[in-house]
Amino acid sequence: MPDRQLMARAALDGHERTIGTVAVAEVTDLALVSAAVPRGSDEAFAAALARGFGAARPATGDSTVGDRCAARVLGMQPDQVFILFVPPDPDRPAETVSATLESAAYVTDQSDSWAMLRMTGAGVRTALERICPLDLDDRVFPQDRVARTAMEHLSVIVLRDGADSFLLMSPRSSARSFRHAVELSVEHVSE
Amino acid sequence: MIIDHPLLGPRDAAEFVYLGDACLIDRPDPGDENAARLFHDYLHIRDNPAGEHRELWFHEHGDRSWLVVTRNTLTHEIVRVELARDVALARGRDR
Repeated sequence: MPDRQLMARAALDGHERTIGTVAVAEVTDLALVSAAVPRGSDEAFAAALARGFGAARPATGDSTVGDRCAARVLGMQPDQVFILFVPPDPDRPAETVSATLESAAYVTDQSDSWAMLRMTGAGVRTALERICPLDLDDRVFPQDRVARTAMEHLSVIVLRDGADSFLLMSPRSSARSFRHAVELSVEHVSE
Repeated sequence: MIIDHPLLGPRDAAEFVYLGDACLIDRPDPGDENAARLFHDYLHIRDNPAGEHRELWFHEHGDRSWLVVTRNTLTHEIVRVELARDVALARGRDR
């Protein structure tokens, strides 16, 4: 046995804060794996996704929910999805996806590369309006829509997973700036 | 400026990066006997139109797609947005 052990640490140390009616909380229990579709195997990939996660393949900009591992599949770009799920083995999410999809996609573990914040509560869209260039109106960005954009010069993936719930993911290297930008925006509409 | 992405709808220009003239899609064949001249022209010779210009934009803070945007250089009006992949396939490229 080695005499030192590495301890997992969340990007924002499990940060949680409620400002006015909006709660901002780091999400630490989800794994994120990218799956790139090999050229010419769209049908095989869609079939593997349905068999493995019980999820339909989402169009770019949409997401679908599966019935295994609480999986949600995010359509990030024409040949790539991100799979967000509760990992049975937190140390090996890419292996889980690769096995579940029967190697029908090129997978990369992204879990520790992103800081994830969930914003919930009445007024969440008002807070996001200040920094998010996307149109988050119900008609344009209803529940299950997903998009990558930039907020305060930081790359952010925005997923609407409820009427008043958004999951935001931004690169871990700028996690604290990201949290600051989001919370400042909430503070400005909560006074 | 707003670019109306063919898959994602209207998105802010700040999400995109500009590359240049869409003629960059037509890379010459390195095996051509005039390859040196063709690559010289490919790299350096550009039209500079006052009017409609077809150009490549990359949706970096988005779905990472390459787009061919037809923009009027006099008015900045964007008259057409296509996926560069579709343009390349229509020109006989295999991807």
